[in-house]
Order: sequence, then C-alpha cells, then structure tokens
Amino acid sequence: MLRFLIKRLLLGALTLFAVSLVAFGMFFMLPRDAVATMCEKNCNAERLDRMRDELGLNDPLFDQYTGYMKGIFVGRDLGSAQGGRCDAPCLGYSYTNGEEVTDIFARVIPVTLSIVIPAAILWLGLGIGLGMLSALKRGTVFDRLAIGFSLTGASMQLYFVGGILLIVFVYTLKILPPPRYVSLWENPLDWAAGLVLAWMALAFLFSAVYARLSRAQMLETLAEDYVRTARAKGLTKSKAYGRHALRAAITPIVTIAGLDVGGALGGTVITETTFGIQGLGRTAVEAVRLGDLSTIMATVLISAVFIVVANIVVDLLYAVIDPRVRLS
Amino acid sequence: MRTRAALAAGGALALVVGLSACTENTDGNSGIDPNRQSSGVIATDPKDSLGPAPEVPGAVKGGTLTILRETKISHLDPQRIYNFVGLNTAPLFARFLTTWKDDGKGKVTLVGDLAETPGVNVNNDCKVWEFKIKSGVKFEDGSPITSKEIAYGIARSFNPDLAGGPTYIQEWLADTAAFDTKWDFKANKTSLPPGLTTPDDKTLRFEFAKPHCDLPFAASLPSTAPLPPAKDTGVDLDAAPFASGPYKLTKNTAGVELVFEKNEHWDPATDPVRHQYPDKFVWQFGPDATAQTDRIITDGADAATLGWNGVATSRVAKVSADGTLKGRTLLEPTPSANRLTINTQRVTDLTVRQALNYAIDREGLIKTLGGDYVASPMTTLMPPSTLGFKSFDVYPAGKNGDIEKAKATLAGKTPELVLVISDDSGDQEIGTQLKNNLEKAGFKITVRTTPSDSKLDETKKKNNQWDLYLDSWAADWPSGAAILPVLFDGRNIKPEGNSNTSFINNDAINAEFDRVLGMDPAKQADEWAKIDERIMKELAPAVPLYADVAFYIHGTKVGGLYIDSIFGYPAFTRAFVKQ
Repeated sequence: MLRFLIKRLLLGALTLFAVSLVAFGMFFMLPRDAVATMCEKNCNAERLDRMRDELGLNDPLFDQYTGYMKGIFVGRDLGSAQGGRCDAPCLGYSYTNGEEVTDIFARVIPVTLSIVIPAAILWLGLGIGLGMLSALKRGTVFDRLAIGFSLTGASMQLYFVGGILLIVFVYTLKILPPPRYVSLWENPLDWAAGLVLAWMALAFLFSAVYARLSRAQMLETLAEDYVRTARAKGLTKSKAYGRHALRAAITPIVTIAGLDVGGALGGTVITETTFGIQGLGRTAVEAVRLGDLSTIMATVLISAVFIVVANIVVDLLYAVIDPRVRLS
Repeated sequence: MRTRAALAAGGALALVVGLSACTENTDGNSGIDPNRQSSGVIATDPKDSLGPAPEVPGAVKGGTLTILRETKISHLDPQRIYNFVGLNTAPLFARFLTTWKDDGKGKVTLVGDLAETPGVNVNNDCKVWEFKIKSGVKFEDGSPITSKEIAYGIARSFNPDLAGGPTYIQEWLADTAAFDTKWDFKANKTSLPPGLTTPDDKTLRFEFAKPHCDLPFAASLPSTAPLPPAKDTGVDLDAAPFASGPYKLTKNTAGVELVFEKNEHWDPATDPVRHQYPDKFVWQFGPDATAQTDRIITDGADAATLGWNGVATSRVAKVSADGTLKGRTLLEPTPSANRLTINTQRVTDLTVRQALNYAIDREGLIKTLGGDYVASPMTTLMPPSTLGFKSFDVYPAGKNGDIEKAKATLAGKTPELVLVISDDSGDQEIGTQLKNNLEKAGFKITVRTTPSDSKLDETKKKNNQWDLYLDSWAADWPSGAAILPVLFDGRNIKPEGNSNTSFINNDAINAEFDRVLGMDPAKQADEWAKIDERIMKELAPAVPLYADVAFYIHGTKVGGLYIDSIFGYPAFTRAFVKQ
C-alpha cells in the first residue's frame, strides 16, 4: 500500500512537472504580447522593453521557469511593480487584476466550491433517491413520473434552465434575491439565498443521470440471487434492500459522482455566467480573453493538481471499496 | 488618446451596445439627434469654478445607489485610471486640477476643480502654466490639499510600477516619450519632475520645453488627483485610494463589491460640479448585460440600480418599445467616432476615395450594427461632441449613399480594394454589408479576415497590405487637437503603432495643425472644424461612419444620472436616490 502510494505520488509529481513545463511554454507561444497588454496606450518599443526588463521577461527562459517554481515553494520577490514580496505559494502577479494570483484564487475558489458542493449533495440525494424509489415501485405512476422528470432534466441545458428559474423566482415571483455570492461565514442565509437557484439548476440537470443510473443498478441488484436469498432468510424488505442491495448498487454511482463533481468544478463557467457570479470558471475565461498569463498558468497548474490528486484518491478508494482490487 | 479597440484589449471596454457578436435590428426611431452640437468653452471667469454646484431639481439626500458591472474596475489608483468606468467613477472619490461642467447634452465648460481657474497661460505661449489652488479643499482625513500634494500625485505618475494611466503631462514635462528614463521617481521621491514646481502652497507651476496648449484639458484627467506622500502605498493604492472627493472607499471586496460612503471633509462650497446626495454608492460585479437589464426591468430590489454594461442588445427592442421602460433610460450619442479608414499609400487616387464617400450606405450599416440605439450616423471626422463642431457633409449622398454619383466620380474605373475585418462574428456581418454596398457602385471588394486580437496592431503597421479597415477614435478631451493631428499628421508616421492609419502626409495640412496647436485653446475650437472640412474635401482619407450610441437603463428610484459629454458613459456627480 505504502509502496503504491509513493509510486503514485512520484508519478503525480512528474505529471505536474510536465504540465508546468507545457504551461510555461504556452506563455511564449501565445500570439499576444502580455507586456503590450499591460502597457496599453502610448507605448513605444523602448518602454515595452524596459517593462519586460522590470518583469524579468528578458531573462533566460530557464531562469524564469526556476524563478516561478521557486515562488510556488518558498515565495519570491516580484519587484515593486508587482507588489513586492510574494509569499509561498506564489503564483505570480496578475497585471489585469492588480493583485497576486494567489489572492485571486483564494477569493474565487470558495465561490466555485459554494456552488458545486451543495449542488452535488442535492443532485446525489435527489437522483439516487428517485432512482431507488422508482426501482422499488417499478411500473407504477411514480416510476413513470420519475423517469419522465429525469429524461427532461437530462435533455436540458444549464443556461436554459437557469434562465427559466431566474424569470420565475427572481423576475416574476420576486421571492428570491438576484443571484450573488456572499461568504458563508459572513451571512449563511444570504449565502444560501444568493446561490440556491444555481444549486437547483445544477441539481435538476445532474440528478437526471443519477436517477436513471441508480434505477437501473438497483433493478439489476434486486434481481441478484443474494437479495432473494436474504429475503428468503427472513430479512425485512428495508434491511434486504437498504443494507444489501443499495450498497452494491451504489458503488459504480460513487465513481461517476467523483468524475461529475470534478467536471462540474471545471465546467462551472457556464453556471457562473448564467447566474452572474464571479468564480473560478469566469476568472479563467476572463484571463484567457485578456491574455493574463500568470492567471492562465496558475489555472492550468491548479486544475492539474486537482486531477492528479483526484486520480490518486480514486485509485485508493477502489481498493477500499472493492477487495478484489489489490494495490501493488 | 486611444481607440476603443485598444481599450477592449485591455479589458476596459464596458461598451454600451456597440459591436457585439449578436445584434438585433430595431426599427423605430430612437429620437437621437445625430447633429447634436457641442457648445463647450473654457471658463474665463473664476466664478465658474466656485462651488457649490447648483441643486439638481427633485434631488433628495439619502439612500444607496447600486451600479452593476460584469467585471471589476481595473484601477482605482487615480494615477493609473484610464478606462471609461474608472474615469467616471473617479470623480466620486477624487478631485482633479480641472474638471468639466457638463449638462449631459453637449454643453460643457472646463473649470477649475482643485484649482481656482482652468489654468493661466503665463506668457501666452503655452509653455508656462500656473494654477492657483483653492482654499478649504481637504483629504478624507481632514488634512488640507495644497499644491504640494497635487505635484506629488503628478510626480508619482512617473513611477514605472504604476503603469496604465495617461502619460500626456509626464511626456510634456520630460519632453520625451521615455519620460521615466528622464526622471527617476523612485530615486527622487522628495523632489519633483523637471518643469514642475510649487512656489508656495497655493501655486502649482508647469514649465514645458515646447508649447502645450492642451494642458488645461489634460489636467482634467484623474492623474492630477492629489496624494500626500505619506499615504502613497505604491501598487496597493489601487485597492484603497485616499479620497479627496465627496465619497471615500469604505469597503473593497476585490472582484465582488465596492462601497463608497460620504466623506465628511469634502466641502461643497469648493466644488463646482459634484454633489453628495446618496449615502452610499455600491458597485457590484458579476452579472452580464442581459442579467443587469432583466433585473432593472423587474425593478423591485433593483429600483435604485444602474446597469453599467448598458441595455443588452437582445433587450433593446423590448426596452425601446415600452414607454414606461424607455422613461428610465439614458440615450445619447457618444464621442466615440467610427470611420472606414482608407490606406492612402495604396489607394492613391483621390477620386476613388471620394467615390467611396459618395457610395457609403450609412443607414444600411447602422441597421447591420443593431439600429439607431447602437449607432448614430456621422459625416465629419470629428464627432458632434467636439468643441466648435460644425455639421457638414462634403460628399452629400443621403442616408443610403448615392450610387450614381459614386459611379460618375469613378468615371468608368472599377477599383479593386481589400477590406480587412476582424474574425468577430459581428464584424463579418459588417464586412458583407460594406462589400455589397460598395460593389453596387462599381468597386470590387475582397474581404479579408484577421484575428481580432491582432487586427488593430496590424492596421497600425505602415506597410500593411490592406486598403480599407474600420477604425474608431475616442479622444480624451473634446478638442480637435486630440483628434485631427493625432489621426492625420503625417510627420509622425512610424513603422508600426500608428494612429494615422490612413498614412496621409500633407504639408499644407500639417502646417495648419502647427498653426492651430499654437493658438490659445479657447480660440482653437472653430479652427479645428475648418480643418476637418478641408481634410475631407482635399484628401478624403476616410469615410466617416457613425458615433457609438450610449443606451442605459436604471431603476425607478434613480435620479440625476446623465451620459457625460466627454467620454459618453453614465456620470454620477448629480445622481440621487428617490425616497
């Protein structure tokens, strides 16, 4: 187990190193001159060159790369044009935002997490609950309604559902305030009120897949011999289904849920745009639009860290959930 | 001076309802007067620069005015502010050497803000300027503002760390574009740049090597805001500016919200333009133009709100058709002027350039852009908001162009021209419209597409291989001096980075520029209008197309907002919240 973990961590580190090299290479291959963007107007060649000097962009590529990596682990001095000392983990300075990239991420990551995590809890609860119930009530009106509901959800787009929710709850009934992010620690009620529409929209869309998936899984498991045996041995319906069938049915769902939460975190730009909330996704898209390279670079690195860590965790979880998987 | 496209690259463009990717035709008349004329002056009577500003009819004190914007404001440090949202927010918390009295309809007067007058041209040669500072002007901590703090503000704009702001005054003082090499701010923090002196606490003096008659105009930009040296936090001032205006920043949640509250040390008696009606101004960042418009249409919780990104293009038809909604909109032409530039190095035949002017179908083009809530036709090089503007049309051809007249001017020629457009979908439609329009007159137009990121830089290259391209220009002050010499003085043509994208270089016109630039700024206005007409008549280096139109919506409780005549964006100096 330990050997496996060390091996995976080393591999992960190697992957991150490769990603950092590629991302850094992009910095030089992008068609837009970052300094020209900063210098904006009244710029001449001399002034551009002096700015490049000041920002260390005229240094050899190797020095720039090692400087950047050093900043991540021990911090570095960015010079007075970029706010001076930048403590570890220093991801550079965003000229377009006028602040350290680490500060930007510290601000937007909680926003994105506040959207995705409660939404994920909602969609998992709703999806799995509906799926299980309709499997147990197979062929009934409830089953048909639930499947119809999930089919509708699966065929919708977030910007459409989001728009409808906004029109109904904010613009027409006026029972919810316009979406905005307020920190959970500042005011939990405002936090929930500002984000509940985003949670509802995401839950409606994502729960559809889970309802269908868990229904199918549950039906399959219910038909297994061991469930019948459990019932024949006198276990109550709730015990046989809840303890035996559900547990077996849920394993593949958990795996997909991990991927979906990851996908939702990465694809949050659509949710953020629909509801006008500034989180990780819009920050990244904005950075690309404006050629804000420090922010782009940091986004790439952070996303890579997410994926590498998630992969290691999933690998470990497999071993825990399924005894047939051996880590060696 | 800058083009809007350049600003877009800097992320500053909060444009109105300009060239967006998706446009919608709106019929019906917006009621904009395309020939609205500016009647601006420079105040000669010191009384004009005195406060308090006249009360706004119906204005009441109290309340919170909220402004929604899609993205945060890039700079709040007055020395670094240069985009429109910054330029129109700055007057809330900062005061400048001079400022504009503006009725929002083109009647503007340049007055002293911190200064008693808009400057004294000491020797009448525009080389030495003196400003007397008002008594009773104070910072947010109650300390007095003297010439020293204004001079320090100008000095710190030499700091290369604080890039982003206008550079006129620095370049004029240093007499070079590389001003920060001529005088090193960081090594001389206790002294002042060459030519800038403070003979006493009440006097600020500029001495230039060359005449700069536009100084009173340049001094109206936020870069002349004062700052005590002890309060200079370098790049961190962007997050917490030190106020001298009627409001001070009390909360700044980066990228989310800004809260401005009343600055009790601001004295209305010293201020000729600003008011202090609402208790608070709150900026909220995030919602896009559509969400802003929908929220404001709904009113309710957003009754005291303005959408900074303008009426969303997809909502223009709804808002303009609904009388009650239209009643709470702001609709004005802006000083942002768009033209079809003709590369005169390649299109050397004057009659071809004149024929292009006869052939142009402005109404068709404006329909393609989204209608008259988006653009207002122009036949001059300077926009109507320029001081001394005179409406003329050297090539009269009606709203839709005069194809026969164009053909007659071409006299049988069928010029083959290359039109370059950016790869934005909105631009593609414009390309098709122009091609169809011009080909009717006998031109053969090849439309080339280039990435929008680099289009501006490419057209600014002297050896670019294109004949026609769309350009826009928004001057920093409404004087022909900030428009015509910048765009048409051929002596400044460089290998790249040209604003003179027509690459016109005419000795007689250049001489006219020199003559007028040497005049007292108050007397220049009429002369620029004459040069504008002369350039169009003798050189036809471009086809004037349209001015951008500003179209904004606010909640039912908002009062006193107007579109400022200088930049064409909502201004807050007279805003109030109805109770």
